[in-house]
Amino acid sequence: MVKEEQELANRPDNTAFTQQRLPAWQPMLSAGIVIPGFVIIGLAFIGIGVALFVTSHSIQVLELDYTGVENTEPCYRCSDPSSKNCVCTLEFSIDSLFEGPVFFYYGLTNYFQNYRKYGASRDDNQLSGDLDYFKSPGNDCAPYQYNSNNKPIVPCGAIANSMFNDTFKLYQIIRGSKKLVPFDGKGIAWWTDYNIKYRNPSVTPLKNAFNDTVKPLFWSKPAYELDPTDPANNGFINQDFLVWMRRAALPDFRKLYRRITEGDYAKGLPAGNYSLEIAYNYPVMSFDGRKKVVLSNVSWMGGKNEFLGIAYLVIGSLCVVMSIVMLIVYAKFKFPEED
Amino acid sequence: MAQEGVESGLTWEVRANSRHYHKPKQKNSFMCFRWGRYADNLVRSYKYSPLTFLPLTLFEQFQRVANLYFLLMVVLQCVPVISSIPWYISIIPLFTVLSIRALKDLVNDMARRRSDSWINSRPCDVLISQSFNTAQWKDLFVGDVLRIRKDQVIPADLLLLCSSEPHSLCYVETADIDGETNLKYRQALSATHNELTSHPSEEALAAFDGVVLCEEPNNRLHTFRGQLHWRGECLLLDNEHILLRGTVLRNTEFAYGLTIYTGADTKILRSCGKVRMKITRMEKVFNKVVIGIVVSVLMTALLLAIGSGVFSAWLMNDLGVMSVLVVDSNPVYTGFLVYWSYIILLSPAMPIILYITFEVIHTVHSQFIGSDLEMYWQPADKPAQARNTSLSEELGQVGYLLSDKTGTLTQNHLLFRQCCIAGEIYGDASVRAEDTEPMDLSWNPFSRGGLYMSAPSLVKKLRGQECPLSRQFLTAMSLCHTVMAEWKNEAPVYQAASPDEEALVCAARELGWVFLSRTRDFIVVSELGVTRQYQLLALLDFTSQRRRMSVLVREPEGGLKLYCKGADIVILERLQKDFPYLERSETALELFSQACLRTLCVAVRSVPEASWEQWSKILAQSAAMATCERDALLEKLYDQMERELQLLGVTAIEDRLQEGVPETIALLQQAGLKIWVLTGDKKETAVNIGYSCKLLDSDTRLLEWQELRQILQSPDPVVSFFKGRQTELWAVDKGRTEGKTAIVLTGPELAEFDQRPDWGTTFMSLAAGCQSVLCCRVTPGQKAEIVTLVRKHTNSVTMSIGDGANDVNMIKTAHVGVGIAGVEGGQAVQNADFALSQFRFLQRLLLVHGRWSYRRISIFLRYFLFKTCGFALVHIWFGFLNGFSAQTLYENWFIALYTVFYTSTPIMLLAFFEQDVSSESSLRWPELYKIGQRQELSSPLLLSLSLLHAVYASLIFFFIPCGVFYNTAFDYQTMAVTVSMAATFTAIIEDHPQQQTF
Repeated sequence: MVKEEQELANRPDNTAFTQQRLPAWQPMLSAGIVIPGFVIIGLAFIGIGVALFVTSHSIQVLELDYTGVENTEPCYRCSDPSSKNCVCTLEFSIDSLFEGPVFFYYGLTNYFQNYRKYGASRDDNQLSGDLDYFKSPGNDCAPYQYNSNNKPIVPCGAIANSMFNDTFKLYQIIRGSKKLVPFDGKGIAWWTDYNIKYRNPSVTPLKNAFNDTVKPLFWSKPAYELDPTDPANNGFINQDFLVWMRRAALPDFRKLYRRITEGDYAKGLPAGNYSLEIAYNYPVMSFDGRKKVVLSNVSWMGGKNEFLGIAYLVIGSLCVVMSIVMLIVYAKFKFPEED
Repeated sequence: MAQEGVESGLTWEVRANSRHYHKPKQKNSFMCFRWGRYADNLVRSYKYSPLTFLPLTLFEQFQRVANLYFLLMVVLQCVPVISSIPWYISIIPLFTVLSIRALKDLVNDMARRRSDSWINSRPCDVLISQSFNTAQWKDLFVGDVLRIRKDQVIPADLLLLCSSEPHSLCYVETADIDGETNLKYRQALSATHNELTSHPSEEALAAFDGVVLCEEPNNRLHTFRGQLHWRGECLLLDNEHILLRGTVLRNTEFAYGLTIYTGADTKILRSCGKVRMKITRMEKVFNKVVIGIVVSVLMTALLLAIGSGVFSAWLMNDLGVMSVLVVDSNPVYTGFLVYWSYIILLSPAMPIILYITFEVIHTVHSQFIGSDLEMYWQPADKPAQARNTSLSEELGQVGYLLSDKTGTLTQNHLLFRQCCIAGEIYGDASVRAEDTEPMDLSWNPFSRGGLYMSAPSLVKKLRGQECPLSRQFLTAMSLCHTVMAEWKNEAPVYQAASPDEEALVCAARELGWVFLSRTRDFIVVSELGVTRQYQLLALLDFTSQRRRMSVLVREPEGGLKLYCKGADIVILERLQKDFPYLERSETALELFSQACLRTLCVAVRSVPEASWEQWSKILAQSAAMATCERDALLEKLYDQMERELQLLGVTAIEDRLQEGVPETIALLQQAGLKIWVLTGDKKETAVNIGYSCKLLDSDTRLLEWQELRQILQSPDPVVSFFKGRQTELWAVDKGRTEGKTAIVLTGPELAEFDQRPDWGTTFMSLAAGCQSVLCCRVTPGQKAEIVTLVRKHTNSVTMSIGDGANDVNMIKTAHVGVGIAGVEGGQAVQNADFALSQFRFLQRLLLVHGRWSYRRISIFLRYFLFKTCGFALVHIWFGFLNGFSAQTLYENWFIALYTVFYTSTPIMLLAFFEQDVSSESSLRWPELYKIGQRQELSSPLLLSLSLLHAVYASLIFFFIPCGVFYNTAFDYQTMAVTVSMAATFTAIIEDHPQQQTF
């Protein structure tokens, strides 16, 4: 007996694995499954598409281009790069209640924030408050690493340097008098950016940390004066700075500026005339860009986006059409059952 | 003495018992300097030392172009101005691949080291100062005298000095060297035998001071030339006196030997040559695809770089923040840098991980082949074996199967069925072997059964002493062979190198002529109970060129007889003139071969004493000559002796078909394989086997040489004429037998192809229309030539299958070589890519494992193309929206881990396990196999479709998110994650629908 076993020492194991008999499942794509499957998927997509489309339609968006390309536009005089501290006012009216909470965005077009060298031009160590990098910013920041006097730029790099610096004030015009619509600038940046990625150096007052450094060339005031009133919104953790530092994916983009959630406007912007006061600083004409402000409310699917709904509708309809075609073919030829 | 040695080419000098002479000349090396002459007995099969491992393995791995390409990418990424992704991103996949491979090599090398040290520390008995001490193999020196015990493995190449057996015979098993399991005998020189066994052996051996002069170490396992100079005498040495390293001593208590070659000088270590790498067609497709990808990456990058230059020029006009980002304010230079950046960025399209995954999949497939119970042969306890693990998918594309006949289609378990003595035919082959009426052989005490021939009249004639011719016939059968007899339980057990001989000797035993034993000089035979001792004067051995063997013996009465047996043509042309039974014997030959029997002619010659003396002198002289001339000379000498023969009779041996051969052949033919049979046998036998194994149908028309020659010749001047004629010919055939034609060729006819190279194409196009091609009487070299012919003129995958040493050539030449582990020793298996035990396992190997493997690997390749290209092409589209700045659309870690980690498992599992139809269905519908033969799953069309699919997918990956994200507040990172998710999910889900592509 033992001998026999020894003699069969080379006998392969009889297991499901070695004999390739592992249980397997493979969908048989017969007409009976594929056609209903396509119909179901198509219908589901159409359903989602309709929901998205309808929702998207119910979202109110107001987009105002204030670049001032034509001389009829109110900001035309400010679009000249030579004009300093130019303020222009844009009048507009809302016909019906603009439901809140209303989000206030600024938008730029033809602006390549996703250009590789632009996007790489920053120093994350510096932005996390490491004082060593205040003295010698990373090479990626070049050519915004040191100024002409060889002083380190803080915050360094092209992104920080090009920070959007137009400011807005929105007034409702009630019987000729202007009433300021309060803006909420808190929590418009990513939580991780505000709490983890960007840190101010733990030096009080903050100003001392910036000794022997210069502000970015393009900036009118240094980083520690971005919001002197609120230390939790100053320096590198300034919400506007954070929003700008998070690069846009595509050359046409919006960035959140403020939310309108307070006071009389918590429920939304009532119908009426409004006036938008713009401190016009940011030049876009040289690269053929446009600046705009966008007022929008949001729904469960986010902001207004018709593309998504349409995409779902198109794909869903294609599925249904395909299933009908298949059904016709199937009915006509009646494929014999596959072996 | 040395002078004399140099002249005859014998320059290797070994002095017995003198370590002090050899030790200073030991081979040694430091770095690349080598000195010394005699290798030590250490085996070093390992490649790496701790110091050399890293450089060596890296050197080996960077010989693969893909690895080198990726290394280049890593280097490019280290240049800050062009690095579009950080350097550590590409290095992760590259490092993974390199380290997996290095680890595998290391593990193999460690295993080799272990086995080396195990071998090196095996014990053996060495004679040191008058007594035998146990030493380890590695401590042996040239010139040492060793004592080998029974069943011990011989540690070095030894000169046999004497042994415990009479005449200093000893038996060795050479299974480890040539795979043959039968015992072979070796015998010491009578001089050493006489002198060294007479005294107590230690003293005599310690005093032995002979000097051996022999050839330099070489790899010829079966030849040896040398001289022993001892006590003023010069004794000739040949292969018979040598015990090779790796053989095992059997049936001999002790053998004493003088170490001649050690370690790396031994014949076995010299002869393990390098295996020729076979590259599968799939791998060639892989390589082409990879090159295609690299070229298109370079082109695309160029276009994008141009785009970048244009964009930079536009950017330059901007006075704003971005303009300074144009490097050196030079758009052309920026474009140049971006070109390299894009090459880096698009490099993931080149699947670096592909080769290593490919290797893993191959290994798993080979494991599956080895562990298939349906291909396990229980009687011999042998599973199928994939010796070359990188060919599994080639099994799914075989178009031509070139098979040996004997031992492959047939069992090579031979039965003596008929014979013809003096024109009289005995036995009847039309009765099945099992149904033969057993003869009464109770008078023969040695009878063991196993004779499937019923011929009472022959027995009567033999016992009645009536017919001297038939008695001589049996004497010849019992004398003319190289079988060894081993005594077990009072009866001889025969150990034969070839099954033919065993069958003949056994048949002679049953009929009363019992071969009892053999020594170097004598053969003892019991003839009907009378023991007679024949003196063996010469043995003219069998070679495939000679196709015959003879023994020259002195009868007890004193007469000299030459007994010869061999193939009919060689014997018939050496017969005396006016032989009375010639015509009847030729009829019998024809009859036997029609019954699918193997025939041998047996003949005898009485040799006059005088001519023997003269002949033996020349023989002794020429045996001492240099190798190359010697063989030709010996052949001529043998030829002189083997003439004027007198035909005794013809033997007919049945070689039965292996189990399941006709079914397998039918199945494989249905699967579209062209099956050719290449055999050394006669035409008639081959054709008959062809009929009986269903290779040919009864209505198949045989196209023989005359006709074929006409067809081949006629066209040469006017091709169109030939074409017309050819179609006409086939048209007629088709009308009559539905194209059932087979070509039958013989070796000498095939030789004509050498002179007419243009025939090859025509012949192959003819053969493509034929049911089969039978090539008979072909030499091993011709078998390989036929394989080459097929390889040259078709683009099908060829497979050779055979079992014997004569098939080794064709097994090595074909795309895939299969060895049948059968009776004829293991040389075929040693050289084969796959080893099977039975021919019928071929259907499973090809139709199930081959088909699956081809399918799996094609799916794998196409999927990989899709996966990596779809992933990398996204960057092209993104380039249009980021100013062609070589900005990635993925997070860095994602690029690094995508192929290696995120998407590797599903496709691996698919490539391991995918079965579109079960094994049973694969065998039931053999037509499914044709997909592989036509390479439908790896055709350029399908590959391009995969690429198009990848382009389409990349468009979707990019433009749908782009549509959603355009003019919104979503940032770059969100989009990057979205697109990478889309790519990953698609890659994983796409895994499945790939299976459905037909």
